[in-house]
Amino acid sequence: MLSTVRVGAWTTPRLTRTYTAKAKRSVLSQDTTKIKDYTPKVSDPHAHRVYVWGFQETGALGLQTSVKKAQERYTEMVHHPTRLQFSNNNEITDVAAGYGFTAYAVQRSDGETLFGSGLNTDSQLGFQVKGNPKDPANLDVIIYPTAIRLPREHDETDEDMQVRSMAAGRAHLVVVTRNGTVFTLGNNSYGQCGRSIIDDERYSKSALIHRIAQADICGEKDEIVSVECGQDHTMFLTKLGRVYTCGWGADGQTGQGNYHTAGQITLIGGDIEKERIVRLTSSSDCVLALNERGDVFGWGNSEYGQLDDSEHAQTQINTPRALQLTKGIGLIKDVAAGGSFCMALNDQGLVYTWGYGILGFGPFVEQTSKPQHLLPPLFGRNDFSNATTVVSIGCGVFHMGAVNSDGDLFMWGKNRFGHLGLGHKKDQFFPFKAAINGKVTKVAYGVDHTIALCKPYF
Amino acid sequence: MALTKVYDATTVFRHLNGVLNVYKPAGMKVGHVRSAVLSNICKGLNELKQRDPRRLPENRPLLGTGTAADSVLHNIATSTDLSDDVLSTGPRYMPEDIRCAAVASLGQHTSGVLLFGINKGLRQSSRIQKNRPVRVYHITGRMGTATENHLPDTHITARSNHKHVSAERISGLAASMQASHQRKMYELCGVDLQTQAAYELACKGLIRPADNSLPVIYGIKLIHFERPHFTLELHSINETQEYLAALVHDMALELRTVAHCSQLRCIRHSHFDVTDSLLRHGWHLPGIVKNLRQQREILREHPQMLEQERVELHA
Repeated sequence: MLSTVRVGAWTTPRLTRTYTAKAKRSVLSQDTTKIKDYTPKVSDPHAHRVYVWGFQETGALGLQTSVKKAQERYTEMVHHPTRLQFSNNNEITDVAAGYGFTAYAVQRSDGETLFGSGLNTDSQLGFQVKGNPKDPANLDVIIYPTAIRLPREHDETDEDMQVRSMAAGRAHLVVVTRNGTVFTLGNNSYGQCGRSIIDDERYSKSALIHRIAQADICGEKDEIVSVECGQDHTMFLTKLGRVYTCGWGADGQTGQGNYHTAGQITLIGGDIEKERIVRLTSSSDCVLALNERGDVFGWGNSEYGQLDDSEHAQTQINTPRALQLTKGIGLIKDVAAGGSFCMALNDQGLVYTWGYGILGFGPFVEQTSKPQHLLPPLFGRNDFSNATTVVSIGCGVFHMGAVNSDGDLFMWGKNRFGHLGLGHKKDQFFPFKAAINGKVTKVAYGVDHTIALCKPYF
Repeated sequence: MALTKVYDATTVFRHLNGVLNVYKPAGMKVGHVRSAVLSNICKGLNELKQRDPRRLPENRPLLGTGTAADSVLHNIATSTDLSDDVLSTGPRYMPEDIRCAAVASLGQHTSGVLLFGINKGLRQSSRIQKNRPVRVYHITGRMGTATENHLPDTHITARSNHKHVSAERISGLAASMQASHQRKMYELCGVDLQTQAAYELACKGLIRPADNSLPVIYGIKLIHFERPHFTLELHSINETQEYLAALVHDMALELRTVAHCSQLRCIRHSHFDVTDSLLRHGWHLPGIVKNLRQQREILREHPQMLEQERVELHA
């Protein structure tokens, strides 16, 4: 019955099938030539697939294909992570979530590199025209990803136009392409597009895409590696670890030492002047930065004591400042700043949260001024997977998330329009796994929707 | 006290209590294992020194036949009760005399650790069952063919290519299924997720199910891959053979191929390991008595198997 053949150290089970007399007659008489071959269609040959969930009425999820159907009832939100059809046909390399819109960086043979869907009230997804005379005249909402044509100079190839980094704010989108050109789209009422503010500018149905050369921002010797948007401000991070900002500064979130709005992209100093910054994060008006030695810096809104918990602390900080709060928690690997709370991940894989809101410590803890860590069992560590640690964190304005080394996404926080992806609309008070069929590699946290870029098992 | 050899069946039977760990072979039903073990016990007991037949009371009036045989008959009848003789009653010990129940059942195709509570051990075995300990399985799947009930003894329903399946793909899928099952466990534990109690439970890690209605899987891990066979190590509670076989089938579909479950082996039931379990050739009275003693030791080392205080699970 079970005979073993020795191959190396392991013995291979070679099984002969055993039958009862009646079953034997039936099984052995089976006509094996008539057994069907199962050749499943691999629907998606791409390296990444995209799952989306949250508020759908803005079109930010890009799941709907029919305008008529999008206006039906019960389509306004998607509670479960849902596979984006658009990612089946396109190789998506990066995603960015704004306030009600989404941008996708795509590799395609036809040369288009940037797609977007969602709200387009301020032309943050470019100037979109009616493709079909039957389409509604109002193109403020784009329900399926459409190409955003970035204006090219005569010698720019498709390769140059590939997206290096992109970020989206309340109503603007900033894209850095591979050749270092910065494109800004959308609302510039606070100078967040990096150009001077024009009074009474009409942003709706505007075809304007502002183009800035990399050298004009940071000089010839440096290059922009990533861009990060808060609500109405924009920050550029360079290879040398410098930070350049522009946009709304009413809470000091531009870090320029004042509370003015700035249409001019400016290098900022303060405590980060001599530091090499490697990561910048902001979702609304509080900014955290991380240097290569694992120290945390912050500026912007500190109403909830996110940046400074001392007695007479300022509620707005307009110059980058080294945080004293995070001194005792070891080497920081990753940071994230939400609307009223902050998160940090240290080198031991512990997730620290502080500030105000749902911090992940159950329904009774609404506010902590000192960073406290969430227990590892909440992120999937147990006797059966005892090496699992958190590898990256992130947050939107109202919700937080963490990805562990197995590629599982854990979400918690306010559940606006089901953007936690847990299958219901109730708030989640501690990290809970979102059901995604793939290993999560990147998550874009919007204000009312979430997008996860995953590697499929197949 | 010096150890003495026991020759009489009564003493052995009196001490035949406890939990027994037998290795159930594949292709044999639990009921058959049970009756084989019990009949072997009885066989062993009946080969030992039996008690003597009952003595009749003295001075019983006896009707004589009035012949010369009277004195002989009288002599026999006064000493023993012939109606209690082995030759007239049959064997002293029958399988029905021994109380025996399995802690948790295994399917016909499953081999491995099977626990029986014997006589007074029934109390222990039912408590072990109520504590819902984890069982660990090694499950071998064979890719390329699907069968009707996902087990090897039925008609083949589909064939498929499995060249594209690699060990990394299977372990990736296993890790994700493990995480999804652990998430399911919180939903099944009957606590409202929006409460402090749920948070405290979640901080403890894994928790055990309240009842035996639904299978819960805690760990899935690929431990061996050799095309077309792959072997998973699986920790679970409340599972059945059919559920595990269906799991292999579903995994294969997720891997864009088909498979059936070719082999299931339970290697551990709580702290009762497969290395201590009694193989079929050892199912005789001395072996069983020795095994009962070993399991008693294990129970003494791990009293939490009988008295479980904590809600969380330990591997």
